[in-house]
Amino acid sequence: MSTEHFLEVQGLKKHFEAGRPALFSRDVQKVHAVDGVGFTLRRSEVIALVGESGCGKSTLALLLMGLEDPTAGTIKFEGQDITHLNDHERKDLRRKIQMVFQDPYESLNPTQTIEEIVTEPLVVHGFANVPDRRERVVKAMEDAGLKPAEVYMSRYPHELSGGQRQRVVIAAALVLEPEIILADEPVSMLDVSIRAEVINLLAELRITRQIAVIFITHDLGSVGFFADRVAVMYLGRIVEIGTMLEVLENPQHPYTKALISVIPVPNPRLRHERIILKGETPNPINVPSGCRFHPRCPVAIESCKASDPPMVTLSKTHQSACLLLVK
Amino acid sequence: MQTTLQNTSPNKTASQLFNFWESFKKSGTGVVGLYMIIVILILAIFAPLIAPYDESSTANVGISDIYQPPSAQHWFGTDDAGQDVFSNFVYGARVSLTVGFFAAFISLIIGGSFGLIAGFFGGRWETSLMRFTDIMLVIPDLPLTVVIVALTKPSLFNIILVIGLLGWTTTARVVRSQTLAVKSRKFILRARAIGASKPHIVINHILPLVMPILVVQGVLVISLAILNESTLSFIGLGDPSVLSWGQMLNYAFGRGALSSGAWWALLVPGLGIVWIVLGLTLLGQGLEQVLNPRTDTHHLMPSRLPLSKEALVKPLHQNTLFEVQNLSIHYVGEGKAPAHAVEDVSFTLKEGELMGLVGESGCGKTTLMLALLRLLPSAGQIVNGKVFFKGKDLTSLSEEELNEIRWRGISIVFQGAMNALNPVRTVGDQITEAVMKHEPKFPKENIPARVTQLLELVGITADQRDHFPHQYSGGMRQRAMIAMALACNPDVIIADEPTTALDVMIQAQILELLDNLRKKLGLAVIFVTHDLGIVAELCDKVLVMYGGVTAEYADVDTIYNNPKHPYTQELLKAFPDLTKPKKKLSSIPGYPPRLDALPAGCRFAPRCPAAFERCHTEQPALHSIGNNNHIASCHLVEASK
Repeated sequence: MSTEHFLEVQGLKKHFEAGRPALFSRDVQKVHAVDGVGFTLRRSEVIALVGESGCGKSTLALLLMGLEDPTAGTIKFEGQDITHLNDHERKDLRRKIQMVFQDPYESLNPTQTIEEIVTEPLVVHGFANVPDRRERVVKAMEDAGLKPAEVYMSRYPHELSGGQRQRVVIAAALVLEPEIILADEPVSMLDVSIRAEVINLLAELRITRQIAVIFITHDLGSVGFFADRVAVMYLGRIVEIGTMLEVLENPQHPYTKALISVIPVPNPRLRHERIILKGETPNPINVPSGCRFHPRCPVAIESCKASDPPMVTLSKTHQSACLLLVK
Repeated sequence: MQTTLQNTSPNKTASQLFNFWESFKKSGTGVVGLYMIIVILILAIFAPLIAPYDESSTANVGISDIYQPPSAQHWFGTDDAGQDVFSNFVYGARVSLTVGFFAAFISLIIGGSFGLIAGFFGGRWETSLMRFTDIMLVIPDLPLTVVIVALTKPSLFNIILVIGLLGWTTTARVVRSQTLAVKSRKFILRARAIGASKPHIVINHILPLVMPILVVQGVLVISLAILNESTLSFIGLGDPSVLSWGQMLNYAFGRGALSSGAWWALLVPGLGIVWIVLGLTLLGQGLEQVLNPRTDTHHLMPSRLPLSKEALVKPLHQNTLFEVQNLSIHYVGEGKAPAHAVEDVSFTLKEGELMGLVGESGCGKTTLMLALLRLLPSAGQIVNGKVFFKGKDLTSLSEEELNEIRWRGISIVFQGAMNALNPVRTVGDQITEAVMKHEPKFPKENIPARVTQLLELVGITADQRDHFPHQYSGGMRQRAMIAMALACNPDVIIADEPTTALDVMIQAQILELLDNLRKKLGLAVIFVTHDLGIVAELCDKVLVMYGGVTAEYADVDTIYNNPKHPYTQELLKAFPDLTKPKKKLSSIPGYPPRLDALPAGCRFAPRCPAAFERCHTEQPALHSIGNNNHIASCHLVEASK
């Protein structure tokens, strides 16, 4: 199978119904949470999905996990269409795509021991009685940096620190030997000194276990050193996608430029002009006409209000959706 | 899961039970209730051994035995049939407990499953089940019970069934709301992502967290069932073939115990009912305290008075607003060693200056800020040091004097404060209230103009003034909170992680706002954060705290380009720097110390890559480096001097 088509997402949309604007109004308002997203993921590749809250990145994660049903578009995994599988058909697939959540304090059941938490995925998938069950649990825990595993097994989540809990979540994902890990803001709740640890761990996994990582974050700064490619999302769409260096060093979309300019640089000698956008991401119920970024765009021209910019190919790997790039 | 993890579960259950007992012991009422119930249980189980006479033996009863007062033969006298009241009481405990337990069992099963199904599956299930529950809840229980029992044969079995079938409504509601709460938690989503089936999620994730509530509810349902049975028996609808406490009351009352002065025949079963219901209620209360963390109470020590009575006035340096000297704060808990939250911290803040206070969670930075205004919870005590504000020592002022300074001299924007706005009042109203409260002398007619002016200062237009908080985004709510903090023209604003929960762009907006305010109004700002990047963008000087002590204190350029403390150095390496992509982030191994279990030597030593022997035994002093107020607490600094 071609490595290009490991995971392929095309025109993915998710519209939530948000009730009627007035009691007897005929049309139902819709939240355009994800509104036409497409990208591909190669084996053991790390792609970062970056955007502010409300850009639809978390909904996208739930769609990819099959925890929400898309309104339109397709998701293909290893060539197979997995867009609308039922729970039964999806079960095998779930093993291959695992998720790591934002809040390690909330995503562990407080009444289970660490061993039970890490073993649970095996039980769910019917591997409860395989002879190497315990070895697999120990290996997953140690690969996630909980060494030696015995020390942690009988503990409860509240006895661990935030970083250790996030490692438990990662271990519970690894135990099924997944091919993709979808990490939704995995470090934003952790202290700075511990963030690097979790990011380094994810970076190692792709090398030791050939796991592809979809890293969802609002902080472009944290993806710098380990993402292969970066996709910047705004209001339900990808506005720029490219290799990490292309996006960070040669951003083309005005939104990407602004996002990069406000990343704090830890050196007062390098203080620079920041492009601070006015206002906030608009409500995805009323998506602006034309380019959806135009109301906040510092360089918008008249035609931005009317026409929705197409994806412009800048290089083999670099694309951006901005009218200013259309030649 | 239960079957597959057998090797660990007995230990787990045992240790859980032990922990449970340890915390249950602390609730006095619960233990009293438990003992009260145990007494009744012993009576019921060993009734044949305890009761001096057989159950309902009427063989040797003569007319003179009726309503005999208490005596050596009959401790609690005899009843209308000449039987021993104590013996009947002992056997009656069996009946009451049987009815209580079995009826409660039925109620809990029905209520528990209704609540679970309605809460977990939602949708149509929820609507139909909960409507049914509502209907059952509206119908008054007792009359319905009376009608049903009167229509059916009043046997013990029927009574249990009827009480059980009518007593589940509150359980269903309680279980449903708990299920809803548990269902919305992230670990349920994680279980779904793993691929767990619904039954698996209910059994392994929902049930263990609903169980505690169910246990508490169960105890209360038992007591209600016993009470119901007694009521039924008392009004003559009990099973005539068994003698429950209610039945005893019924017979005594109906057969002239009152008129013949045989108080004992009424008092003894009556007390029995009171005893068991009281015992169960106390037990339920005790269980709730242990199992339901929401009712957990903190035992606080009374707040400590200011350290010194005579107010110190310190000669004022030019432009100095704050001068904090050797401040130490301990948290004192009942029966626990004091937690050294802040130890020997000093800094100064001049007019218009922006100081960054950087540290990880639990490093004492919030405690330090609260202590500046003496807003610590009462367990937190300033044990040493001085806080001079404009030359006045805040640690020695009275509450009234401090109130003059709070908000007018120094105001605070708390972390997450934007969620503390009152949802049913407009933002303008709430700012008006803040102005009126803190500036009572402010001319009333000028207040609206002042509110508009404050909102404009933070970038909120006049037409948004009468909006409600929910119409504001997170960033705007934070702006409104800053406007409130500005209400009395303070000299200093303490901003405690004001941007932590916000997106990068909103964060940048708020930072820009604080910086502008400082330039426009000459405000001094103390910016509390864990984010070194923000500090570099904004601040003039930086205080880095670790485990309650000053790690390093210097101007911003020194901190970033010439840090001396290994913690500062490591923290900088751990921070992603976009100017150097592809650079591997280095993490600091280990975790910050807990304030109640601090290492013996330097608090950073266990994680420090440069630590040597002395670091593990001796706490380093604060060493100053050069002449420009650069301070670091590290043995290496002393060695290099």
